[in-house]
Amino acid sequence: MIEYDNVCKSFDGLKVLENVSCVIPDSRITVFVGPSGVGKSVLMKMIVGLERPDSGTVRVGGENVAALGERGLYRLRRRMGMLFQDGALFDSMTAGENVAFPMRRHTRMSEGEIRRGVAERLALVGMPGCEEKYPAELSGGMRKRVGLARAIALDPEIVLFDEPTSGLDPLMADAIDELILDMQRKLGCTFVVNSHDIPGTFKIADVIGVLYDSRLIACGGREEIMRSRDPVLERFFARHRGGMGA
Amino acid sequence: MRGRAGAAGRGLARIGRWGIFCARAARAAVAPPPPLRWILEEAYRIGVGSVFIVCAVAAFIGGTIALQGYHAFKEFGGEGLVGIFVALACVREMGPIVAGSMVAAKAGTAMAASIAAMRVKGQIDAMEVMAVDPYRALVAPRVAAALVALPLLVLFADFFTVLAGYLVAVHQLGVNGGAFMENVRAHAGTTDVLYGMAKGAVFAVMISTLCCFHGFFSEPGPEGVGKATNRAVVSVCVACIILNYLLSEMMYG
Repeated sequence: MIEYDNVCKSFDGLKVLENVSCVIPDSRITVFVGPSGVGKSVLMKMIVGLERPDSGTVRVGGENVAALGERGLYRLRRRMGMLFQDGALFDSMTAGENVAFPMRRHTRMSEGEIRRGVAERLALVGMPGCEEKYPAELSGGMRKRVGLARAIALDPEIVLFDEPTSGLDPLMADAIDELILDMQRKLGCTFVVNSHDIPGTFKIADVIGVLYDSRLIACGGREEIMRSRDPVLERFFARHRGGMGA
Repeated sequence: MRGRAGAAGRGLARIGRWGIFCARAARAAVAPPPPLRWILEEAYRIGVGSVFIVCAVAAFIGGTIALQGYHAFKEFGGEGLVGIFVALACVREMGPIVAGSMVAAKAGTAMAASIAAMRVKGQIDAMEVMAVDPYRALVAPRVAAALVALPLLVLFADFFTVLAGYLVAVHQLGVNGGAFMENVRAHAGTTDVLYGMAKGAVFAVMISTLCCFHGFFSEPGPEGVGKATNRAVVSVCVACIILNYLLSEMMYG
């Protein structure tokens, strides 16, 4: 379980997050939505300790992330995987080497086991046989898939997705949403997703958190959020509801 | 006045951050040290990548020093002393400076640009999230590799500066070859060569840590990569020239 308790964060005097409190349940897909620049990525980076709150606490499995030392932080991170916005694959490595990277660093697997593990993960994300391709040879969607294969390389308990569908065409975005759903069913771990894609959010989310104007204005089950009569939420989801109504 | 004080404050803060960066890199280098293969790969990249340019520049510098020395000594009939001038200037000063500046220009900029690109593309964050210490994976091997490669490149630079000085002095300006070599042997001993290599080692630490530092803390976007590379080159050039003077004072002052 991941808990945010009164989290505040500012950059150069500019408030990005203000008194954010919520709980991300285990083994579910939680999606944070909100306009660009509202602090979704900062909220996510706090889970892995890449950002620290100015005040308040972020707890993962009961551990206060900001209070962890370097070793504790690395121990915590080994239980997590993260898919960055454009995959953040290492340019100098092939797709296979990228996926193998955490296995080589953190396990005592033999080369044969690593090869099999890599092939398995790439097949799971729908990219079988692309081990030898370099990131520059892959499309945006393919890079995200390989990034996801790398994120799940060590069978993490928590997988974080930072804008997994941004910059993708609607078909590819839909395919990534399907992949996230499928992966969650197969792996059963906790998924936390940042998105500004409202249709995709309603498709994959069990829990939705809405960030607006530095605040978490709503956090609850998908149905609850969809039924909400809160005027800000209504305005926020208006286009999607209009689309559904049509 | 306030602007100048602000700039000085920012400069001091940056030096402080660089000091902390070096301390973290040093800790990452020893506990536990990065695999030897990473260091050798980087050393090969730095050494082989820079050796041709170091030798070429060293040859022209050596030739120029012989030419200038010859004309200066000719004024009072001491053309034969050009060997001493070449030996002292090249082995003590120019060898380390040529090797250092060429490594800074070639390998140093590559270090700064590649690490900055990794920062900009989120790859360093990705590494941290994968519980891999970027100081151990990216910085420590580069610093260790520069420490291996640069002193060896100083030897190449020494050899080519003196060789070119000999060719220009003896074959172009007509200085006696035996006298030239005798002067070189008498005035550039093993200690001078070792001091030159020691300067190379100090430059190696300075170049690699400064270039990695500027890349590591690059600003976002493609512009950030350019700025980081630019800052790295400027700071390394200034630092190496100042360091060279201080080291020369310590060694020969």
